[in-house]
Amino acid sequence: MGEGMDQQELKDWEAKCIQEEPPGCRAGCPLNLDAKAFVLSMARGDFDAARAVLEKSLPLAGITARLCEAPCEKFCIRKDLGGAIAVGRLERLCIGQTKAKAKIMRLPARPRKVAVFGSGPSSLTVAFDLAKKGYPISLYHLGDAPGGWLRGIPLSDLPQAVLDEELQRLASLNVSLVPVSVLDAAIVEAHSADVVYVGQDDTLARDLSALLGSPDSQTMALTLPGWFTGGLDDREHRFISAVSQGREAAVSMDRFLQNASLTSSRVALRGGRTSLFTQTQGILPASRIEPADPSGYTREEAAQEAGRCLDCQCLECVRHCVYLAEHGGYPKSYARRVFNNLSIVQGIRQANRFINSCSLCGQCETICPSDFSMADMCLDARRKMVKDKRMPPSAHWFALEEMRSAKDSRSALIRHAPGADSSDVIFFPGCQLAGIRPEQTLRLYDRLLELEPRTGIWLDCCAAPVHWSGRQDEFAALLSEMETMWQGMGRPRVVTACSTCLKVFRENLPDFQAVSVWSLLAEFDVPALSPRAPLALSDPCTSRHDASTREAVRTLLRKLGQPLADLPMSGELTECCGFGGLMDNANPDLARKTTQKRVEQSDADFLTYCAMCREQLAKTGKPVLHLLDLLFPDAARPAGEPPVGISARRVNRRRLKDEVLSRHGLDRGPREPWEGVRLVMSEAVEGLLEERRILEDDLRQVLFLAGQKGSSFAHGADGRKIASTELGEVTFWVEYRESEGVFTVLKAWSHRMRIKGGRS
Amino acid sequence: MSLTFLPEDMNWICEPCGAPLEQGKVELDYLGNTFHVELPVCPKCGAVFVYEELALGRILEVEQLLEDK
Repeated sequence: MGEGMDQQELKDWEAKCIQEEPPGCRAGCPLNLDAKAFVLSMARGDFDAARAVLEKSLPLAGITARLCEAPCEKFCIRKDLGGAIAVGRLERLCIGQTKAKAKIMRLPARPRKVAVFGSGPSSLTVAFDLAKKGYPISLYHLGDAPGGWLRGIPLSDLPQAVLDEELQRLASLNVSLVPVSVLDAAIVEAHSADVVYVGQDDTLARDLSALLGSPDSQTMALTLPGWFTGGLDDREHRFISAVSQGREAAVSMDRFLQNASLTSSRVALRGGRTSLFTQTQGILPASRIEPADPSGYTREEAAQEAGRCLDCQCLECVRHCVYLAEHGGYPKSYARRVFNNLSIVQGIRQANRFINSCSLCGQCETICPSDFSMADMCLDARRKMVKDKRMPPSAHWFALEEMRSAKDSRSALIRHAPGADSSDVIFFPGCQLAGIRPEQTLRLYDRLLELEPRTGIWLDCCAAPVHWSGRQDEFAALLSEMETMWQGMGRPRVVTACSTCLKVFRENLPDFQAVSVWSLLAEFDVPALSPRAPLALSDPCTSRHDASTREAVRTLLRKLGQPLADLPMSGELTECCGFGGLMDNANPDLARKTTQKRVEQSDADFLTYCAMCREQLAKTGKPVLHLLDLLFPDAARPAGEPPVGISARRVNRRRLKDEVLSRHGLDRGPREPWEGVRLVMSEAVEGLLEERRILEDDLRQVLFLAGQKGSSFAHGADGRKIASTELGEVTFWVEYRESEGVFTVLKAWSHRMRIKGGRS
Repeated sequence: MSLTFLPEDMNWICEPCGAPLEQGKVELDYLGNTFHVELPVCPKCGAVFVYEELALGRILEVEQLLEDK
């Protein structure tokens, strides 16, 4: 058995997402009519679909739709933006322009009998609802025909033909209509039915009224066993409240007849209460359409009026997140998807990629009115996949390899300042700054040494990739390793230039007392820049909950005199660049879309203070600066510079280590023999390697080993050669030409499948 | 289902064996699943040629399927 997500966890997740909560109109309808679906059908001019929505919830729809007082309108979000949607008027047009459903479905007949006394709307509702459930009904009414006070209202509101037709439909459901001259206690008491209903929205004899007393307000049950009532005098609306009380009584009577509890897991009337959030910002007011003819809407007027419906739904997170929008659902449906994926015992796990594509950036949780965190859900799922050995090995492979390389002896280093034998603080630039901007990393270190000569340096990776990939054991082991190294340096305060490192240290290694280098620099003067165009400042997603670092960056920019362009999703609402949570590893196409959408949010050039954000955002061709370009103009890189790329990052980290060691008069020792393999390739081939995540170092190793063994395939005609080697989990292939010790790379590819052996 | 995969251009010679590649039997393995296929192979030393289209096409497809199984 795997770890899975248990049913309770699923329910807890699902309950957090409010997208499926009813809109105000539906919550305000005592009959739970899906008014939004009705109105949207009317807006499309699909009257038959609209009628079907009415018939699904309304008893005797021909009557109810004509007389409903539309309490839903009170809860319409449109009411402050031009007036509530005129649902009542739309109902009346729809019901008048469409035909009733040919046949009402009735469940198989049941043996227990129901007697209904009175024929006002509440009684008709009880008869209708219970007749559909298969109970035989006797409905006792005063006068020649049922209907009670419905027969006294203007014919323009309810034509007699409609009333008679609806009553005929009722009779067709095995309801016997029995005329009586008086509705008194004797006639009810004499009845042999298993359950009785007395509708007080009809003329009752005084002795019957006196006998009833007050019913339970939820179940409409009277103290007399098997007696129910409704249509009470103090009801809010003359018509629809009577119908509602009849419906609640019918629910209770059905339960009574089945010997079930009247209250257990009963859905209470919402009275308009809902936790659905609907964003109204940016919605322009639009006035309610008044019919030219006071008797009602034309079809055109109705379409216009229904067109004002806001189609209330939340989707706040989905509107902002490419990842959430891309998968066609919303967190509640995604919770089910994740649950199913984790529960599969045999078969294809179709949501693996979905789970691994979340950037874990936390924007959804910040936006969500009820704090649903896709990050928590997806990270939890990844951890379970890793524990169950179900994590696809390729999903995070490249990032984990990059992390391991940043941590290996060719790139990693920890040292006190040259000439110092202890450190008060230690500078942890982060592996991506070291790989992407090695010269600026040194420049920044020099500045820190000016401010505090006892500043050590620590080139390493904070282990965020193993954390993001759900490998908890490995993460814990790496953290503990780092803690030991830090203790060996005398427990200096850690200063980092990476928001992700900062977050990892603060959350997991609080003794580091990690602080952002930007916070430190903001305490000192910086030379102002010459006037320049505003830049759109993109906060890294890992700074979302670090207001003080974000503010320090803004302080620095003010001191520099750098104006900022507006970027709506900033600060706490900032967006991921597409790298976070290893999205770019698990789903490069989605990462590209995410990055593209981000840079489109401003026409201004971008500015960021995360090296990986710089690298990702620059992939789109957008000019992007790193904060260091402004702080150290002498070491600035142009905004339009293309991203560094995966191969150069590795080389840069090694060079940075070499540079730091040379300041101590040291050398990292013998180079790997393959480091000297000389490659040339076109830009197109460089792009191909980047896309296929093949490093130039990988090819150097393949070519070095092929040269040593003298093994390759040579083309019979044109001098091309092909060599391959299995390096770790992956077999790399390179097609090339060789001339005077220089390898011209023509193509490269790889696969994970292992070749066990071949024979002719 | 044919389990023979050959590139359009078979004019490749194994070095240092000097033998042209031929269709041969190959055993592939991923995540504990073994496949028997026919690929270009050196008749002398048994070296196998996994050409680009095969690696990025069928092999990738099968790898991903097995990873999600």
